[in-house]
Amino acid sequence: MPGVTLDSGEINSLAVVPHSSDAQSPRVYPLRHRLAPPLARISISWARGNSLRVSLLQSDDVVSEQNHGGEVVEVKLSNVEGGEISDAQWRRIAYGSVTPFALLQSQKNAIDTLRYEKDWWEHVMDFSKEINSLLGNSKSSVSPTIEDPKSVFKEVEQPSSLKAAWELMEIFYADKESQTWIPERLLDWLADFDCLFSGTQPTVHAKLVTFQKELVTIQAVENDPEYWEAMSAALAVGWLDVVVKLLRLHGSYLLDQLGSREIENGLVEAVAVLISQMPRLRPDLSAEKFGVCYKTKPEFMKAWEKWRAQITKLDCSAFWLQCDHQQTRSGLKNMLQVMLGNASSLSTVTYHWLELYISHFLYIRPFTVGLESMYSLAQKCMHLKPISSHHKLMGLIIGILEENTEVVLAECSRSFGPWMITHAIELLTAGSTQAEMLLHEQQSKIGGICIEELHRLTYAQILSSHALTWNIAPIYLTSCMKQGLGLLENLLYKQPVQHHQVLVKSIEICRLNGLDFVSYDMMKIAGVHYWKHGKKGLAVFWLQQARDEVRLNRIAKHLFDFVGKSLSDESFKQWEGMIELLGTESNTAGGLEFLKKYRDFRRSLQQVQEGITTDTAFKAAEALIALMRNPSTPQQFWLPLLHDSLKLLNWQERPLLNVSHTNLLLNKLQELSLARLRPGFVDAELPPEALKSVRLALATNLGRAILED
Amino acid sequence: MALTTSNPIQIHKLPQHTYIDALRWLPHLSTFTRHILLATYDSDTSTPSLQTLTFSPSQNTPTLTPQASISAPSRITSLKVSPSPFTPSKPLIAAAIFSGSVLFYSADLINGSLNFEYSVPEEGFHSGPVSGIDLNENGSECVSVGEDGKVNLVSLGDKGGFRRVFDSNGLVSYSSVKWASPVEFVTGGFGFGLHWWDQRKGGGPVALFKGNWTGGNASGIVHSIDIHPSRKHTCLAGGSSGTVFAWDIRSPKQPLILSGFGANDVPANSLVESDIWEIQYDNYTHSSKISNPTSSRVLPAMICSEDGILGVIEQGEEPIELLAEPCAINSFDIDRQNPSDVMCSLEWESIAILSRP
Repeated sequence: MPGVTLDSGEINSLAVVPHSSDAQSPRVYPLRHRLAPPLARISISWARGNSLRVSLLQSDDVVSEQNHGGEVVEVKLSNVEGGEISDAQWRRIAYGSVTPFALLQSQKNAIDTLRYEKDWWEHVMDFSKEINSLLGNSKSSVSPTIEDPKSVFKEVEQPSSLKAAWELMEIFYADKESQTWIPERLLDWLADFDCLFSGTQPTVHAKLVTFQKELVTIQAVENDPEYWEAMSAALAVGWLDVVVKLLRLHGSYLLDQLGSREIENGLVEAVAVLISQMPRLRPDLSAEKFGVCYKTKPEFMKAWEKWRAQITKLDCSAFWLQCDHQQTRSGLKNMLQVMLGNASSLSTVTYHWLELYISHFLYIRPFTVGLESMYSLAQKCMHLKPISSHHKLMGLIIGILEENTEVVLAECSRSFGPWMITHAIELLTAGSTQAEMLLHEQQSKIGGICIEELHRLTYAQILSSHALTWNIAPIYLTSCMKQGLGLLENLLYKQPVQHHQVLVKSIEICRLNGLDFVSYDMMKIAGVHYWKHGKKGLAVFWLQQARDEVRLNRIAKHLFDFVGKSLSDESFKQWEGMIELLGTESNTAGGLEFLKKYRDFRRSLQQVQEGITTDTAFKAAEALIALMRNPSTPQQFWLPLLHDSLKLLNWQERPLLNVSHTNLLLNKLQELSLARLRPGFVDAELPPEALKSVRLALATNLGRAILED
Repeated sequence: MALTTSNPIQIHKLPQHTYIDALRWLPHLSTFTRHILLATYDSDTSTPSLQTLTFSPSQNTPTLTPQASISAPSRITSLKVSPSPFTPSKPLIAAAIFSGSVLFYSADLINGSLNFEYSVPEEGFHSGPVSGIDLNENGSECVSVGEDGKVNLVSLGDKGGFRRVFDSNGLVSYSSVKWASPVEFVTGGFGFGLHWWDQRKGGGPVALFKGNWTGGNASGIVHSIDIHPSRKHTCLAGGSSGTVFAWDIRSPKQPLILSGFGANDVPANSLVESDIWEIQYDNYTHSSKISNPTSSRVLPAMICSEDGILGVIEQGEEPIELLAEPCAINSFDIDRQNPSDVMCSLEWESIAILSRP
């Protein structure tokens, strides 16, 4: 719960400070407002997403013309973590993962037809690679054209731990192809991400970075113990290219010294060659890396034995005695011990258990397969190098190795957030049947949904809470079988209708998901909103789109009060646009249909006024009868209509209305006279004798019509 | 991020950190550097702003470098640019905003600055958002329309003064506007409605059009209109359900439907099913069938849509798809001086720049 601090009554220091049970120092969010002190009340509530709405109210006595007495400000609470990844980057990741996620779901639905073309894990791998590419590039592809010989270690942009976590999940769950050479995959992984651990503990990476900085100033590197330490460390974790590069910086390679230090140089070169020829149990290596790759175990075994024999042979060589440079001799010997897999050497040159773990894979147990044996080795390494500070990636690795799906899920969700867990579940379910069962089992304690759905719903909620990502939430919601559609409806109803573009986008989402009833409801909400704000045309449009005849009839009643009721009223012209909008589809216009008929009648009547033939007058009379007969014609129009039609009723040549028509009009007139007695009747603005003259005209017409018959 | 080698159109996607409300090419100063104008909305800080950026075209990695930025009082709904006749390096920019005003800026492309000139006072101008504006050819007058049903003319000569052309009192709402000649303009709105206005004749519009071809189904909204300078009697409109139609003022009751989804009498090969957000005549796509300028065929037009399509539509031809995105394409602009280049803004906070061969 956030609390407000008000210290010493100074208003400029007003700020929101979140309380938390953790020992972390509280974060302060300053409030920007223009109110003068003192403030009487402050109220805080949640606004959209992770922002707070703070209402600042002043006491009544300071309210004046210039002073409204209060202000509402929004405070955006930034990432609690402090943010390895900024909000904008998170959004970019969210946008980018929509397409791969949607594609994977559709492939999942079409699994029966796809089965024979590709294994399922291959689809998951495609998905995983797409996602991984969103999380940043681990290797910088551009290398300088003239390489600095002293730059042994390329400094690249620090990768995110999110990417590291994703790659771990990929190695262990999705990539079935690399199952036989997981140790080598882990080695590559550590080479990319060892720098992430440097913040909290000493690492080989940190050691090399420091040494790299010193390297520029050192004259004869071989005299520096740091040089040998750095090389053994890099060798232990398998960064062979770095070691070979460093070895070639040895002073004995200098042309002026080559003669006097021939044997020394020979030894250095021998070690460098041995390192670069190290057998590796993996299908391939990138060009700048060293080692000889073997795909099958027997081939590798043969090469490995041969390689070890060469090292032993070199170790026992007589040349060591002739090497006078003491540091070189002991340094190289130490490196040979690392290569021979001397456990104590490995332990001294590495810094944390993961590095030790990798060195064991490389030099002691290259054939380790299966999570069980990997886990026991990990336990051994952790025993030798206890974890000094908890790192979120360590937690994840241990969870994976001990095959504990719950721990993996918990670590993913706690350390890397809802995006990670939602997408990583796809890898987990592909990789282990136990995990799949756990994730897809319906849990009664969370309302009968499964854990997979729960995480997707949570992620969708987070997307929904942001104005820029709400429209990708439907992709995730529609993949949730049980609660998804309900929440999607909720989300759509919550969108602000006053933003015309947002409304159109929401309606499009409804169309794509077959939620016609939701889109009709939204159109109704929009119609009422615009009606309230005086945008009558927009209101009519949306209500017509929603086919909401009830509301159209209701607003029609209000609208008719403003329509000019006399033929001479010029203001009727402004209704033309609205009548055009109503269109010809009579079924959706509701009571507003009257407007269109009224316009047509006015037109024909205008022609009659201009004095044209009996035929047009006859048509006008027919239109009048149709209007008067129509129940949707509002009562307040009856008398003005008849009054405007006096010329028709008194047509000289012959009566235009027959007996029954005249009777109908007389009845309407009678009804009107009764209605006038009722309270609340609004009389049309007509001359007082209007009713009389209409009645007289009708009576005359009736007489003439009877005679005609 | 080019597509495949067989597709000779170069497409470059450039992610931004903000939502792009509108975008325009600015007039060229030289062949090597070009400038673009973005109306952006930063959701982290809730600030709308106007930015000029330098675009350096290059085969592999074109870059956008921010040049100048100025914050706007509220989100920009419509953006128009007019080259300044005397100082080509200082184009005039008109921006309509959500809070009901139109703001005028001048961009100084050489010194890299963006200067606020003046704005129309919000009071009495439009109530609610201004939905569309258009600058006339010489940049001396700006017509504005809004949801409130007002049509205003801002004369750029007297700073900030405006004249009310029409006020429908909310009975009709407008979504877009386009000049047809120095005295005529066309407005688009709801119910696929188009109105033709002539300043020489007072009062309301001189011609009304209402599209009702959807055969009893729901009607739609015109989101964008365009008029070709060589055929001022024809108005091209794009809107809901992928509808594109041409309305010739000389035969006002017979619109020509070029594209549409779900309508009865439209070509079957519709490119787009959802809303078309913007439409512009595409001078770059040359039509082999239109040889004489008096031909009544409608010239090719480019559209962008809610379902992520940027394409070219031509009467009687198969539509051409230039870009298909998983998210909406909200606006685009064809470079007037170099019409092979097109840029569009994507819903997912990025812009795409296409250069056609």
